[in-house]
Amino acid sequence: MIEVKNLVRMFQSGERTIKPVNNVSFELAQGTFASIVGKSGSGKSTLLSLLGALDKPTSGDVVVDGVSLAGMPDGKLTEYRRRDIGFVFQQFNLIPNLTALDNVMLPMEFAGVRRSIRTQRAKELLEQVQLDVDRHDRRINRLSGGEQQRVAIARALANEPKLILADEPTGNLDEQTGGHIIELLNSLRREHNTTILVVTHDRSLANKTDRRFRLQQGRLTEETAPKQTQGTAAAGTAAVAAAATVG
Amino acid sequence: MSVLARSVGNAFRNKIRTTAVVAVLAVAIGLALAMLVANQAVTAKVTELNASVGTTLTVNPAGGQGFEGGGEPLTVQQAATAAQVPNVTEVVGTKALRLRNATEMAAQGAGGAGGFGGQATTTMTTSLTPAVDAGTLGNRNQETGTTGSQPARTFSLPITATGTGAEVDSTGKALDITEGSGLGDYTAASKSALLGTTLAEKNSLKVGSTFTINDQTFTVAGLFDAGTAFGNNAVYLTLTEAQTLAALPGELSTMIVTVNSMENVDAAKTALQTALGTDKADVTQGQRNLETAVSSLDSVKNISLIAFVAALGTAGLIILLIMVMLVRERRKEIGVLKAIGAPNRTIGLQFVLEALVLVTLGSAVGAAVASFASGSIATALIGSSTTTTAAPGVRRATGGFPGGDPLGGANQLLTSVTASASPGVIAAGIAAVFGVAIIGALVPALLTARIRPIEVLRGE
Repeated sequence: MIEVKNLVRMFQSGERTIKPVNNVSFELAQGTFASIVGKSGSGKSTLLSLLGALDKPTSGDVVVDGVSLAGMPDGKLTEYRRRDIGFVFQQFNLIPNLTALDNVMLPMEFAGVRRSIRTQRAKELLEQVQLDVDRHDRRINRLSGGEQQRVAIARALANEPKLILADEPTGNLDEQTGGHIIELLNSLRREHNTTILVVTHDRSLANKTDRRFRLQQGRLTEETAPKQTQGTAAAGTAAVAAAATVG
Repeated sequence: MSVLARSVGNAFRNKIRTTAVVAVLAVAIGLALAMLVANQAVTAKVTELNASVGTTLTVNPAGGQGFEGGGEPLTVQQAATAAQVPNVTEVVGTKALRLRNATEMAAQGAGGAGGFGGQATTTMTTSLTPAVDAGTLGNRNQETGTTGSQPARTFSLPITATGTGAEVDSTGKALDITEGSGLGDYTAASKSALLGTTLAEKNSLKVGSTFTINDQTFTVAGLFDAGTAFGNNAVYLTLTEAQTLAALPGELSTMIVTVNSMENVDAAKTALQTALGTDKADVTQGQRNLETAVSSLDSVKNISLIAFVAALGTAGLIILLIMVMLVRERRKEIGVLKAIGAPNRTIGLQFVLEALVLVTLGSAVGAAVASFASGSIATALIGSSTTTTAAPGVRRATGGFPGGDPLGGANQLLTSVTASASPGVIAAGIAAVFGVAIIGALVPALLTARIRPIEVLRGE
């Protein structure tokens, strides 16, 4: 269970104060596949980085399985990211001079998993995301965009996180590959009961998720009644927040 | 893939840049190591100078030195008095004999022995032929004592035989025995002798060969190398044997007094002069002549130390700038590593190892550079320093013990500074470079790792 409570993130831009995330609150039950849609600059990526502890909120809190992130020191936040979070970035953000296999093994190395175990698991994950075996030992810069995104997803799954945060996972992919990636995420969610939150412009992608949120001027609203997922029904609580303040 | 393997891989991401970085580091590290090696060599030489020659005083009979001058000879009682002077650690007495080849002496007649009106002159015959030709200077010196109306004649040079109370030369420096062994107890009578290498060669003598002095047979126990042609045209006997040959038991030509430290030399010299009496003995300080040399070496030592620190600092700065550049270039990568759960220490370790890979390569090349360059650099430093500093102080010691020109010894010591790249010194230098590299890599990596991942990722 992830609970977001009155989350606010403010930035100073010259003399102006921008609130890309403005008093956002919602809850997601474990195993939910949710999406956040919104225009560019609406604060989607900022919200995602707050949920993944890549950034700290100005106020408010994110509570994961009863543990608050707000007061956590940096070391604990790193541990939280390593143990509970899997990121899939729009730009993939893989380490270019490493092979696909090495990239997937990285989070496990940081978690202290033994080499033989992490090698085996990395191979299994790459097979699970349907990356051809002959691509496993190729350097990232010799893989296509779709292949890199699969490697990124495999890396996100490496430590069996509770929550996968995907920022425009299909943004750099063609429609067919994007569709396959979404199908892949959905199947992984079903198999591992992983909560998946994707940020997207893609309406068709959003329509395939259990719950759909819209972020507009820092305010989060849930678009329609949540699509129930078996055994993981969650009452989506759309938070109504004050309008983004422009100071 | 481990952190180490990743770091090694990262170090070679851009091969052209890696080559350039290693080349620049090699020059800086090589220079630093060469300076360290030179510094260590000069430090060792300064210590040696201070320990051996720098603390030595020479006592001659008042008014005479060696085979020249007048006055009363020194005695073993005076040596005992000298040994009681505070800070004196050792007194070595010597007895000088002048040997002339028996055949040539007979041919030249008594006039051949002229020239030196010295107080301690004891001329004896020998089967040895001198290894140094008289030449113009020798003939001129020999003729000095003859009557002016005699026609010019060709002389042979005398050979100096020195009876010594210890295995040291006339400057107090240990004899460099190149073959055979020493004479054992130098205070006991013995028919063994040490010959200079060129004298032995001239007379076709080896260890175990025999020769005569005043028709007494002596066996060559060993050969020594004094470092000069004149010094090697000499014989060393035990002190007692020389006194017996001269039939002057208890008489000394000179005393070599060793003081416990360089700081006490002046005080010991004054005390010694007082104890022996100014009308009985002249106390000279060979170290005076060497002070300039030691001072020159000290300045070389300081220069090399400063150059080492400067070169090390430069190497450190290069590493720091390179690592700052690398870290800035890979900020996004650091952000990604943090985003997927890498602790700061892992990120720091990765960049430190990467820097160490570059430094190891630079050090390997630099050590090779240092091993070739350190000798030349030390020689160049000493050469320039002695030219500018020591030269004004140079003066030839007049008279004195034959072959015992203290400054000649100093010059020899100065030029004999050999800078060899010892593994210990190189290892110490490389350890210092590694220390600098670790700090140089850790600081920018940790500073970057401390920022929030989103700040790095958003910045792309």
